[in-house]
Amino acid sequence: MLLLALIGPYIAPFDPLAIDFRNRLVEPSWTHLLGTDGSGRDVLSRILYGAKLTILSTVTVIATVLFFGCILGIFSAFVGGTIDNFLMRIADVWLGFPPLILALGFAAALGSSLEAAILALIFSWWPTYARLSRMITVDILSKKFVASANALGVSTARKVTHYVLPNAFDILIIQVTLDISAVMLAISGLSFIGVGAQIPQPEWGAMIADGRSFTSKGWWVVTFPGLMIFITAMSFNIIGDMLRRELDPTLVTRH
Amino acid sequence: MRYVLERIAFSLFALFILIFITFLLSHVVPGDPAIAAAGPNAGAEKIQLIRERMGLDQPFHVQFLTYGSKVLAGDFGTSWFTHQPIADDIMRELPPSLELVVLAMLINLVISFPVGLIAARYHGSSFDNGVRVVAIAGAGLPIFWTAILLQQKVAADWQLFPVAGRLSFAYRDFEGATGFYLFDSLAQARLDVFLDLIMHMFLPALALSLLFTAVGVRITRTSMISEFRKDYVVMARAKGASEARIMFRHVFRNGATPSLTVFGMQFGWMLGATVLVEEIFGRPGIGRYAVKAVTQSDIHAVVGVVLVVGLVFVISNMAIDLILFAINPRKARED
Repeated sequence: MLLLALIGPYIAPFDPLAIDFRNRLVEPSWTHLLGTDGSGRDVLSRILYGAKLTILSTVTVIATVLFFGCILGIFSAFVGGTIDNFLMRIADVWLGFPPLILALGFAAALGSSLEAAILALIFSWWPTYARLSRMITVDILSKKFVASANALGVSTARKVTHYVLPNAFDILIIQVTLDISAVMLAISGLSFIGVGAQIPQPEWGAMIADGRSFTSKGWWVVTFPGLMIFITAMSFNIIGDMLRRELDPTLVTRH
Repeated sequence: MRYVLERIAFSLFALFILIFITFLLSHVVPGDPAIAAAGPNAGAEKIQLIRERMGLDQPFHVQFLTYGSKVLAGDFGTSWFTHQPIADDIMRELPPSLELVVLAMLINLVISFPVGLIAARYHGSSFDNGVRVVAIAGAGLPIFWTAILLQQKVAADWQLFPVAGRLSFAYRDFEGATGFYLFDSLAQARLDVFLDLIMHMFLPALALSLLFTAVGVRITRTSMISEFRKDYVVMARAKGASEARIMFRHVFRNGATPSLTVFGMQFGWMLGATVLVEEIFGRPGIGRYAVKAVTQSDIHAVVGVVLVVGLVFVISNMAIDLILFAINPRKARED
């Protein structure tokens, strides 16, 4: 999938934005393998370019929430006490709210664009990682080897880089794989509603929204981008599930 | 009692956070509302005047308190595109959405519990593996895509269900006291209207529920598997209890508890996900209202929806937790 995102633009047979009104809604054929959309753009080319757009946005969201969530979670665990309690209560509440509707609120406040949708999802998704990294840190800090490290006067920074992060890696990587599909569904959902990527950007959700008016005349315009979202999200779910069965911690998936 | 009070306190805290988030959304994130309200040609003096009238020159916490007390009094402001009080709009749009979510939830439960239980009972069998794979795959379904495909195939091509709307044209004059037409039609003994409503709701509810059902099956299966492994099941088997009795009387009752918490959360998430299906099926509801509000950049209407969905979410979670506590005080506290 990542490979597809990288090489997609190079193997695409047509310009994803080129409008060709003589070839509107052409059925899948040898020239246009997946047909053309209502403005005569090649669906296969758009899907290939869209892979980069969709995956890049998803990775941006996940990387950012992973980074800031972990900083907050590890900080919270080290500080402890009232601040820790307060931060985690906020994370609990925030974690529960329907992410889609929260992101919709942020996107509405920020204005409709793909960047706004990305930012909106970052705002909605951080608690998962704050909660998780805090849990892991507290667990590690309670271990005996940390007590002996304390006796030796090991610095906090060293504890984070040498004890917490290596131990947290496995669990975080599983959560990341499972969240990729959820974030991807959310981004394409927001784009479908019209608050994310804007037509003619070749984002998969936006393509489906664009193709909706032609579903009776050109089923391929809606079917293929959706199929791509489904296959990609499913692949990440399967990878995540395989990783989890290897390590089996108790994780929660949000949708 | 202590647990109940703690749970209520947590919900109030959640409500506070919710109001704070919506305050940020409507007052802080969009930039200076006074400049927006004054229009493009306003001078600095006019902007200052509007800023004072809107209370934007007040300190941050004063603005927040003003906003919070307004919201708690049920005043969400006026919508730009319907020119109605937002609270009235939402009260009108909420019942159809709630009805839809309840039906979607029923579909979810009717599938998740039996499938999860049976898969757990025959853990490791080919049926169980099949269920696991389908559940993982299903969790990758884009709701809006399934909705369009179902509408196109089942409704438009096969004509098994109506394509769009809440009621058929013949019943366009139907009105109910509560706005919950399923309830109203039964109260008026209009079975024809009731069936028509269900026919219109079925496909959107199915599209809405599939993704959540996939997650629901997985959660139920996992919690039932761990329940089957417990000592009391071995004990019951040793005492010669029938397999059916073990499954329904013991495992199901205990294993259902943790999944109920998840289903409680899913209720709120589904209500949020109505933004993806209501527009497609041309149904009235807060999801469609929110989408319209977003496209009209009516930030206060969007924030109103966020508030109400959040409120439903807080209430449904608290209700589930309190019900579980009432059924089994000891177990609820452990979870």
